[in-house]
Amino acid sequence: MLPGIEYFAAALTPFNVALALGGVAAGTVVGSLPGLTATMAVAVLVPLTFAMAPASALILMGAIYTGAIYGGAYAAILLNTPGTPSAIGTTFDGYPMAKRGDGDLAISAASLASVVGGLVGALALLLLAPPLAEVALAFGPMEYFWLAIFGLSLIAALSEASLLKGLIGGCFGLLLSTIGVAEISSDVRFTFGSRTLLGGIEIVSALIGLYCIPVLIDMVATPDRHLQVEAKPRGFRLREALTISWRGKINLLRSSIIGTLVGILPGAGGSIAGLVAYSEARRSSKHPERYGKGEPDGVQATESANNATVGGGFIPTLVLGIPGTPPDAVILGALLVQGVRTGPNLFTEQGSIVYTFIYGLLLATVLMLPVGLVIGRYAYRSIVTVPKAMLVPTVGFMTMIGSYAIRNNISDVVVMIVLGVFGWGLGRFGFAVSPIVLGLILGAIAEQGFVQAWTIGSAMDDLPGMFFGRPISLGIVALTLLSLFYPLLRARLPARRGVVREASYDE
Amino acid sequence: MTSERRAAGRDLPGSLIAAAFILIGALCWWDTTDMSDPDSYVFPRMVIVLMIAFSLLLILRNLLLGGGRHHLSTAGSWPRRVGLVAAMLLGALAMPLVGFLPSGIAVFLAIMLLAMYDPWTGFRRVVFPLVGFAIVVGFFVLFSEVLRVPLPLGSLFE
Repeated sequence: MLPGIEYFAAALTPFNVALALGGVAAGTVVGSLPGLTATMAVAVLVPLTFAMAPASALILMGAIYTGAIYGGAYAAILLNTPGTPSAIGTTFDGYPMAKRGDGDLAISAASLASVVGGLVGALALLLLAPPLAEVALAFGPMEYFWLAIFGLSLIAALSEASLLKGLIGGCFGLLLSTIGVAEISSDVRFTFGSRTLLGGIEIVSALIGLYCIPVLIDMVATPDRHLQVEAKPRGFRLREALTISWRGKINLLRSSIIGTLVGILPGAGGSIAGLVAYSEARRSSKHPERYGKGEPDGVQATESANNATVGGGFIPTLVLGIPGTPPDAVILGALLVQGVRTGPNLFTEQGSIVYTFIYGLLLATVLMLPVGLVIGRYAYRSIVTVPKAMLVPTVGFMTMIGSYAIRNNISDVVVMIVLGVFGWGLGRFGFAVSPIVLGLILGAIAEQGFVQAWTIGSAMDDLPGMFFGRPISLGIVALTLLSLFYPLLRARLPARRGVVREASYDE
Repeated sequence: MTSERRAAGRDLPGSLIAAAFILIGALCWWDTTDMSDPDSYVFPRMVIVLMIAFSLLLILRNLLLGGGRHHLSTAGSWPRRVGLVAAMLLGALAMPLVGFLPSGIAVFLAIMLLAMYDPWTGFRRVVFPLVGFAIVVGFFVLFSEVLRVPLPLGSLFE
């Protein structure tokens, strides 16, 4: 029997169902707007929860959070702009699908994957929270460093034109992530006297610039339609999406588990989960060459993983009082205001709150399917049918207000535009923007892990042991190498088998 | 192979961009020499070394083996491209002076003109700017009143 099943009915009161529905819808809309992140969505709506019962407050915040993570997929698929950083990987295949006229299918596939991922994460929270919280404690700085490197190994997959160009872009992204005041030592780095750069490159603004501005620059230059228009209405294409999901069920399950596990790690978040799941999906696919060109499995890998981080992130938040993701930190603050004391005993001492919330989260995740399909359909129709003279200025204005709103800083808007033009220019000559984005996103985690491990290793006079002597680190290193070289190995293996077969024929 | 083809195969723009990355790396390395704490420069220096090494390898490969052409098309209107970027940049720079709302409306209308390929009928002349105005005002109210983002009101009007 499921733990705390007696609280299931409490989660289904009309008020809680309304909160779950409203939260998912609000979160989805906020998440779909570039520049408005899940953290911001939760933070803005937290004051509403202070007058509610703790379980209802948690249901509302969890629903907004899960909706916002899912909503990020719309802009990623339809505009090549991740609505939230978690949806970076969704752009890789979602936008090519939309370009060829399958944007509606991509949205339905993303909706199904988000629901599956969300359910797996929430079930892990329900069934395995205390033992899984131990995983978070087993990860030290070195493991975080290697996890970031594992994410960077995706560069190999994303560098269509040239691996070297991808690696240069990745390094440049890592260097961009170090601009500003250093977190550990407070040295000012690479600003060259500019006050604009003193605060560093804001990641969401940079994402919007690097992904969205090149699309706008190309949209305004030609009279062609942004996306292909369907000849006749095709509905939600849910049946096709279900077929894709069933065919890729292993991918969905694996990505959801990856998302849950990465979500448990404090500070890692949905963007890393999505990238790691995408990398694994591509590595284990029978057709890795289709990835990056509109492969639905790529969309499903990212979307299931990033929504699984919602449930996963709640595990250390509730069991250890350590927020797994940034929105969890906001939710943790709201819980403290409510007088809820998180910790290992929360599940036994305040079971009514926790279990009502978890069942409410499961309900919100299921409601995400109808809500997401309807909103997604509307978003798709809007993007496809709105005249270019309205679409381009609307998106352009949204990029500006979204970039500004993150830190209330005009410099972020200027940096966003400059990076966008830079990315567009590099893209003309085979330097893709995705490796730069990967470096930028993973840079902070990589540097923090590297510097801490380097400091500890130097003090212990055992740098090699620090970097390569820990079992979890070695596991991640092995996965990274596999991810990098498996495509090469696989390409050689059939050839060798072919050679053997030819040799046997000769005999 | 003709000399033109060889030049194209050597990916000259790619090599020039790689050289620019080497220059950026050198500048950044020079900047690290002012840093006092090894924690500040150990990671960036590692990244700089890798970036310069990959850039040199790219140049070398392009010179010896030819890099091939993987260049995307730049077809389409350049004035409209430049106009879009200029409108956004000028709008962003004007925001602290004239305020978010006026500069936002100006940017919206400027981009609308640049992105217009259909004839300006009477209906479009009236409806498009009005809808644009409503969108900008709607977002302004959403961010400033609902989300409580302090959008600049403009120092000229203070």
